[in-house]
Amino acid sequence: MKISLEWISDFVDLSGIDVAKIANELTLRTAEVEGVETVHRNLRGVLVGKILTAEPFAADKDGEPKTYHRCTVVCGQNGDGTPRTYQTVCGAPNARVGLIAPFAPAGVVLAGDKKIEKSTVAGYPSDGMLCSAAEIGLGYWHEMLFEMPESTIVGTPLETLIPEEDTLIEVDNKSVTHRPDLWGHYGFAREFAALLNRPLRPYPVEDLDQFNHLPAFPLTVDAPEDCPCYGCLAFEMPRTVIPSPIKMQYRLHTLGQRTFNLLVDMTNYVSLELGQPSHAFDGDYVKAIRVTPMGKNGSFTTLDGQERKMLPDDLLIWNQNEPVAIAGIMGGLHSEVTVNTDKLLLEVANFKASRIRRTGGRLDLRTDASQRFEKSQPPVNVKVGTARLLRLVVEAGAQPTVTSRFTYVGDLKEDYRPLSMSRDLLHRLAGQAIPDDTVLDILHSLGFLAEFDATGILQVGIPSHRSQKDISIPEDIVEEVLRMYGYANIPPVMPKVPLEPLYTEKALRFEHRIRRLLTQGHRFIEVQTYGWMDDAFLAKIGYEPKATLELANPSNQNFRRMRTSLIPNLLPLVKQNKVHREAFRLFEIGHVYYPRETEFRGEGPLQLSQERRVEVGCFSGISYQQGNQPSLEEHFRQIRGAIEDIGSFVNNGVRAKSEVGGAEQSTAPWENPGEFIIFTRNGEEVARAGILPGKMLETVIGEGSGQVVWFEMRAKLDSYLEYPEFKYQPLPVYPQSWQDYSICWSMSDGFTALSDKLAAFTHPLLRKSEFVTVYKGKGLELGTASYTFRYWIGTDHTMSEAEIDGFRTDYLAFLKREGLTLRG
Amino acid sequence: MDTIRQQFVADLAAADGNAKAVEDLRVKYFGRKGTITQLAKNTDFSKFSSEERKSFGIRLNELKTFAEEAIRSAQESAKAASAAKPKAKIDLTLPGADHRLGSMHPISLVQIELEEIFQGMGFRVLTGYEIETEFNNFTGLNIPEDHPAREMQDTYWLKNGMLLRTHTSPNQVRAMRKFGAPVRAIFPGRCFRNEATDACHETTFYQCEGLMVDRNISVANLIAVMRELLCEVFRREVTVRLRPGFFPFVEPGFELDVQCLICGGKGCPTCKQSGWLELMPCGLIHPRVLEMSGIDSKEFSGFAFGVGLTRLAMMKYGIPDIRLLLGGDIRFFEQFAATV
Repeated sequence: MKISLEWISDFVDLSGIDVAKIANELTLRTAEVEGVETVHRNLRGVLVGKILTAEPFAADKDGEPKTYHRCTVVCGQNGDGTPRTYQTVCGAPNARVGLIAPFAPAGVVLAGDKKIEKSTVAGYPSDGMLCSAAEIGLGYWHEMLFEMPESTIVGTPLETLIPEEDTLIEVDNKSVTHRPDLWGHYGFAREFAALLNRPLRPYPVEDLDQFNHLPAFPLTVDAPEDCPCYGCLAFEMPRTVIPSPIKMQYRLHTLGQRTFNLLVDMTNYVSLELGQPSHAFDGDYVKAIRVTPMGKNGSFTTLDGQERKMLPDDLLIWNQNEPVAIAGIMGGLHSEVTVNTDKLLLEVANFKASRIRRTGGRLDLRTDASQRFEKSQPPVNVKVGTARLLRLVVEAGAQPTVTSRFTYVGDLKEDYRPLSMSRDLLHRLAGQAIPDDTVLDILHSLGFLAEFDATGILQVGIPSHRSQKDISIPEDIVEEVLRMYGYANIPPVMPKVPLEPLYTEKALRFEHRIRRLLTQGHRFIEVQTYGWMDDAFLAKIGYEPKATLELANPSNQNFRRMRTSLIPNLLPLVKQNKVHREAFRLFEIGHVYYPRETEFRGEGPLQLSQERRVEVGCFSGISYQQGNQPSLEEHFRQIRGAIEDIGSFVNNGVRAKSEVGGAEQSTAPWENPGEFIIFTRNGEEVARAGILPGKMLETVIGEGSGQVVWFEMRAKLDSYLEYPEFKYQPLPVYPQSWQDYSICWSMSDGFTALSDKLAAFTHPLLRKSEFVTVYKGKGLELGTASYTFRYWIGTDHTMSEAEIDGFRTDYLAFLKREGLTLRG
Repeated sequence: MDTIRQQFVADLAAADGNAKAVEDLRVKYFGRKGTITQLAKNTDFSKFSSEERKSFGIRLNELKTFAEEAIRSAQESAKAASAAKPKAKIDLTLPGADHRLGSMHPISLVQIELEEIFQGMGFRVLTGYEIETEFNNFTGLNIPEDHPAREMQDTYWLKNGMLLRTHTSPNQVRAMRKFGAPVRAIFPGRCFRNEATDACHETTFYQCEGLMVDRNISVANLIAVMRELLCEVFRREVTVRLRPGFFPFVEPGFELDVQCLICGGKGCPTCKQSGWLELMPCGLIHPRVLEMSGIDSKEFSGFAFGVGLTRLAMMKYGIPDIRLLLGGDIRFFEQFAATV
């Protein structure tokens, strides 16, 4: 939003200010200034001209037929008293006899360094140019001539009517969402006055009480909650469609608004000045106002000619039984003021922000009016706005005759609202004392009433322009005082607090440990993916997740399902990255989500005991390797090693069990029966890991050979012990020895089955046994491998040869009993 | 003879103490067809006067002595050098094997760092849920239905009526309810907003909010703790400023700016010539939020703040495009070795 300092000067004396300094002050104390710009207008030599004759003719412009006017323009008098006239050709549609507009004679330089020269246009001589707003540097609108009021003295140099320069301060809209008063220049003028310690001039309005003797306008409000206050005033004017005063027009243009005529322009003007939207209805057409919801499904055509779908709750303004406007958003097609009327009805109303936001949002119709209503305008502006509009009509010389009293329904909330707070609260929240006089000066400068009573209570009167939503509690007053006092004037003080024990979330601590283990111990690269899955990719890999949470408003329909596993988000990264590296390991730590909606519904304050988890932390990874060296089995064992490492620090001695998953356990296409394993701990599943089945390789890897190993863990980490509980085992006093045995075993039965079988062996000398290695190939039957185990033996004395041989005999006997054979 | 001397000096320098090159040099000058040997042999002394002969002989001897001495010295040092360098069987200068650390996501690095700083100041670290109720995300934070704050946040809604949290703020309420006052905690985590993606905007980003509630917590405390935090994060003295900012769950509310770390406040493209970088929204916790969380706002006050973890990571590591963070390109991720 841009603020014109020239406009602000109507209300505060800005003479001699340092603009950069004041912009900085505004940022620090009021609202964020995003930029300061000086606008220059091209007025030198431009005169007020009046069209004496206008003969239309047609000519081609860029290959299109277009109507031009050959005009005679008068601009004051020559030295000898004769009218000074010029010939020109004008293409603007509003060129007509009697129109008063800026005229740039030959020699003048207009906006964009456009020098006007004598020329011939379409065969007619041209001594200069009739100007639009854009051409004299006032803004963007260039289609129409800048129409001036009839009272403008022809021949007047334009630079005496329009200031040659203005400074615009651009304020970040976000920083004033809570300040409805700052959506208008007068609100900013109040801040300037307070910052500069200069007086604020009263807002220029007509006295509406003078019309109290007139009849009320028929007005009914059926929806007091959505429309807390509605005001209107009826009046007549000899002519309703007339150009606005020059000042009104150049200000609107400078702030990017187009001008039309007085009745349209003045509502835009008051909107920019006070922040209060308003609307002028055709008084011949609108006989009685009713503010009531649509009541049913229907449609309404707005003044832009669009037919809009209406819901029963949408609030409309009705002329008796016919809708004429969508409240606070846009007027209708049929009630616009036309040249045929001399009767007008001015609407200045207050609508509930949420109502406007809901309807406007649904219709995708954000107007200047709705934007301001959404900030909760104070109801007092219903009256102030009406009085200001009437003053503008009078000042424009439009000679209005008011025909109704100012009629309103609702509470204007004109009075100061009382609020009291202790001096102590202010000092406590500031962290330091602030002198009473300073506090009172600040509040007074912002339009508040304020005084301290004998007991140290600050009695505040909140002015009507701030009392709607903006200021309601003592802390709001603290903010007003401190922002003007200056946060820079509050020295930092570290808090002094008692020592208290601190607990960190166990799950988070585990999360970081796992992160460190995978990255620092196993060379994984941590990545992040989106919280949803890509349906297009799921279709490619043939994955149809059982039940997912779905977004109602996804950014793309393919991204509507929330992820139930991280694997389908990680897999596409293989193809993306295999051109960069021949092998890599990726992992992600993130949430996955499940639909158990019935347990999570419910409004109202959170009850912790009712909370159920729809999401759990998930640790997943994939490992890619180009080609087949090392082998897929070796590759898988490397990744399994990482998972077992995690297990060794989260399990606290409870060993995870693992088994090969079959068809009945498979839940996703990457879980190929026989090619993935399931880890369980105390009977509960904690992780899965597997090799990507051949049928998915082409989709995931694309051209060329390669391997992909995946894993996913969903342990409930907060149920685990955070720190391991080691138990010291006495070191053996006498030397131990070991014996290695290589046992032949079918690979399809697997290591675990063999290991379980061997666990049945007991012996008084046995201290420990461990797996050493596996061998496949030469000398072994296909499908058979040799698994080597090491047995540590020892006792409470130095072992004899006989004891050592005895162990071997016993072990070989055990193997024989179990039907196991040693490798030849 | 002077030319020969100059050439010899240049050749000697070129040999650079290399034993083989020095030997070549010796042959070139003193070999059977060596330059100096030939000079002595081929000069026709009969054409010289006795004076000339004498002078020539002296100069030739000087040259010979000089060159022989230089060659001997070069031979010796070449020998010494080769003696000191035994034939190596092990190259100890090779880079470490298996030396590649994996990498952590830049957000994780920043998050771990922030957690450690705050834990050092006695803050708990709490996580929460990414899927929230409308109440927790908005209403419980004093964001009523018609409040402008709801329009500022484009929310992802789930079909079951819940939503993807738009900020980590729901955890403020959760922490205050769970622990009561006094309490101090931070809440790092993933947030979502339904907006168009570009170099600066992502649908998915990370925040770290925090709060401190105790007796007599003031604006002065807020400034001090935030300044301390930023000095730690950026490992230097930083200048901060507060200016008014609006967030429904704080009152008064601020935007905290830090003096531009690139230009030191003079103005540069990074700070858009303003000298300041907008870094953290913060404020004193709104009394209604305290009350809704079961804390007596007459007895306790507190401050709350939010750090954009994503933004902080981008600032700290100079990441120009937010989309890299979820882009999946390992050449990007590999740059952030897991060193914390």
